[in-house]
Amino acid sequence: MTAAARGTPTERYRRERPPVSRECGEELTRITDDIDDPVVKLRYLQSALNEEGDKSALVQLVPIAPARRAWYRLKGLRALDAVADADEEIAERTLAARQTARRVVVGASAAAMLFIPVLVAIVAWQVNRWRSDPERVASVGSSTEANATAIETTTAPLVVPQSTSLTTPPPAAEGPVNQAPVAEPLAAEDMGIVPSMIWLADRGPGWELYSNGLRIETAYTVKGTARDYRVQTRDGTLLPTRFNHPMGILFHTSESDLWPLEPGYESEVRKGSEALLRFVKREQAYNYVIDRFGRVYRIVDDDSRANHAGHGVWARGNEVYLDLNSAFLGVSFESRWEGGRTLPITRAQLIAGRNLTHYLRQRFAIAPEMCVTHGLASVSPKRGLIGYHLDWARGFPFEAFGLPDLYAQPLPSVALFGFNYDSEFLRTMGERWPGLIAAERQLADEARERAISLDQLRYERQANYRRWRAALPTPTAAESGLETPASQTADKRG
Amino acid sequence: MDDRNDHGSESSGSGSHTGQSQSGTRTRIGLDVGTSKVVAARGDNVSPTTDSQLNAFFDVPYSALHEQGLKANRTPFYREDDRLIVYGDASEKFAHIFNANVRRPMAKGILNPSEPQATHVLETVLSTLVPVSRNPGELLAFSVPAAAPETGHELTYHEETIKRYLKGRGYTPLAVNEGLAVVLAELAKEGFTGIGISCGGGMCNVAISYLSIPSLTMSLAHGGDFIDASVGAVVNEPATRVKAIKEETLDLTREGGDKIDKALHIYYDKLIESLVEELGKAVQKTPRLPRNDQPMPIVLAGGTSKPHGFRDRFEKALRRRSWPFQIGEVRMASDPLTATARGALVAALAER
Repeated sequence: MTAAARGTPTERYRRERPPVSRECGEELTRITDDIDDPVVKLRYLQSALNEEGDKSALVQLVPIAPARRAWYRLKGLRALDAVADADEEIAERTLAARQTARRVVVGASAAAMLFIPVLVAIVAWQVNRWRSDPERVASVGSSTEANATAIETTTAPLVVPQSTSLTTPPPAAEGPVNQAPVAEPLAAEDMGIVPSMIWLADRGPGWELYSNGLRIETAYTVKGTARDYRVQTRDGTLLPTRFNHPMGILFHTSESDLWPLEPGYESEVRKGSEALLRFVKREQAYNYVIDRFGRVYRIVDDDSRANHAGHGVWARGNEVYLDLNSAFLGVSFESRWEGGRTLPITRAQLIAGRNLTHYLRQRFAIAPEMCVTHGLASVSPKRGLIGYHLDWARGFPFEAFGLPDLYAQPLPSVALFGFNYDSEFLRTMGERWPGLIAAERQLADEARERAISLDQLRYERQANYRRWRAALPTPTAAESGLETPASQTADKRG
Repeated sequence: MDDRNDHGSESSGSGSHTGQSQSGTRTRIGLDVGTSKVVAARGDNVSPTTDSQLNAFFDVPYSALHEQGLKANRTPFYREDDRLIVYGDASEKFAHIFNANVRRPMAKGILNPSEPQATHVLETVLSTLVPVSRNPGELLAFSVPAAAPETGHELTYHEETIKRYLKGRGYTPLAVNEGLAVVLAELAKEGFTGIGISCGGGMCNVAISYLSIPSLTMSLAHGGDFIDASVGAVVNEPATRVKAIKEETLDLTREGGDKIDKALHIYYDKLIESLVEELGKAVQKTPRLPRNDQPMPIVLAGGTSKPHGFRDRFEKALRRRSWPFQIGEVRMASDPLTATARGALVAALAER
């Protein structure tokens, strides 16, 4: 057993671990045969196996099997005493087992004392043999669990056949994650495996590398204002809890200049991206920017709010979020909303964005329905209209990100707060999407049920929005001004 | 639970549900959070009390008449906008009435990412089985599936969501692999050495355990729901109805009778073959198999393994392959529906 295998109880009961050696297992089995109560037996085994982990390597150095077994038995006995000492009832129940084990250990110890000179001689002979013939060490040692694993690892073929590569992780003797790998359910060119858990695998000056291949450039990272926000419920109650971690991700486009992605434009493309990064850093506009080559830049650190969401609205279940800058991480793709659509992002951006999303979702336990686009959340409170910003108002590849299609979910800004849209919006979008239609239907049904006009209901709901928003902590100066529509803005933010 | 109007039956933690452990004051709980059902076990490991609730819901359009009817029948429900959400065991009855399918807050063993109601319904169902802890910090062990290629990182979210909810109810949550929980419940005499298999609604979970150490865990993202949906599709019946027939009349020892029966046989065989195939692949690839001369006993649990004849078919499929260990007795859990929860309870009681 390894040090990593010990630790929290949760790890013990769910994480794969190498089994103990056969000799150790057999000795522990003999001891536990006398324990009837499953709870006591389990408690004992957990205790004994944790103890075993500390010294098993030492025991395995003993060249004589009976001596090794005696040592294992002694260790097993000690673990049994530890369990029994803590509970009188257990002590009583395991009395017979402990007495039996003690007798065996005393007998084995006495025998060992008698044969110590022989033992020393054998050990000396073994050491001498190993020194004179180092190549045989591996084969002699292969009777132990550790060496068997090591040999399997070192002799494994370096190239894994393609037929197995989708479902098989490279065998690892130990590590932070031993779970089955995830084969991404994406297009054919996305073959390969990624671990189901994500951890920081390496870091250097200006970068971090995560186990799913995500590399985050940190040279531009700044610390902003700490997140500190509250959440409302659908009936307007402001929940007392103050949150300081993100609960969602809001996807944007950078609305910046895009040079052709072709040879000959390297300088323009690079300068354009650098200008964008400087701008985002200065304005603290997003938490992350993904450039067209798939490089992920952390700009505003995760614990700080970025100025990316304006007066956006989102809801999940009974929870209503009105301070999206604080509650959501802003992730911006270097792209632009143009001609009623987001210009296509590159394959590299998609892969990087997906890896980043997986990482953020795992780190902050973000619900899938809290990964939403700016175009779906953005509103203009003054005009009572949705679509103040339209980036990713359509076309975000939710499925490729392993996320539910939020274009099909009733739009909270309409269903909850009665926001409307104008003819310019319809002209830009061409048609309403299913979530907008569903939200309008909900609103109309309620107006009919309450026998009031739709306009009256919208008025009520928008008044709610203003009241609820006023109840939140005062927004920062940067947010208090009204934004200009996306189509007219010189602002590089989406 | 939030402040939505809920006309449910939140567990109070008193009365017959409350088991006292050996130390006299603790009330530890083992919870099987399954795609199809949530089962809670409490008390001591010798004679635990178990309770279950269907992990499903059914929504009907809101009307005052509907609401009054539900209240009059004491049906657990809550209102969400213009819908009335009936949850738990009662949802299946409503699905039958409307000849439709219940909706599930979980799919393939984890929170259903395409179901907006998922978290709230699951928490509501859990609240009917898990009372607010009277001893803050009390241990509660709950089952989690092994990561499957299809579920991957969603598992973290699923597990953390449940943990947060349970912490909010005053417990210290402890996640236990579902297959291992079956081993803990059923293989104590064998020193917790053997293979535990839980065939549930959303997935099948397997754990190979040596002295309670999980040396291999795997899952197959198919279970009873896969059978119900597949059969429903080919015979043009709602999956809910197929499920009812499956649970009431299916006998896998007899060749299929009507169309539904035949289709059930076909898809059961398909499930068993897939499970054995995937287990075989996993066993071949792992470097961590226990080196044990003794035959490995196998225990089957979960609602999908309940039909008469499942054990025989599974054993036949298993023994058709060669394995790097001896296959011992293949047996059903003493109570397949509660085995996972009872195993989780053993883990909870064993922790200090």
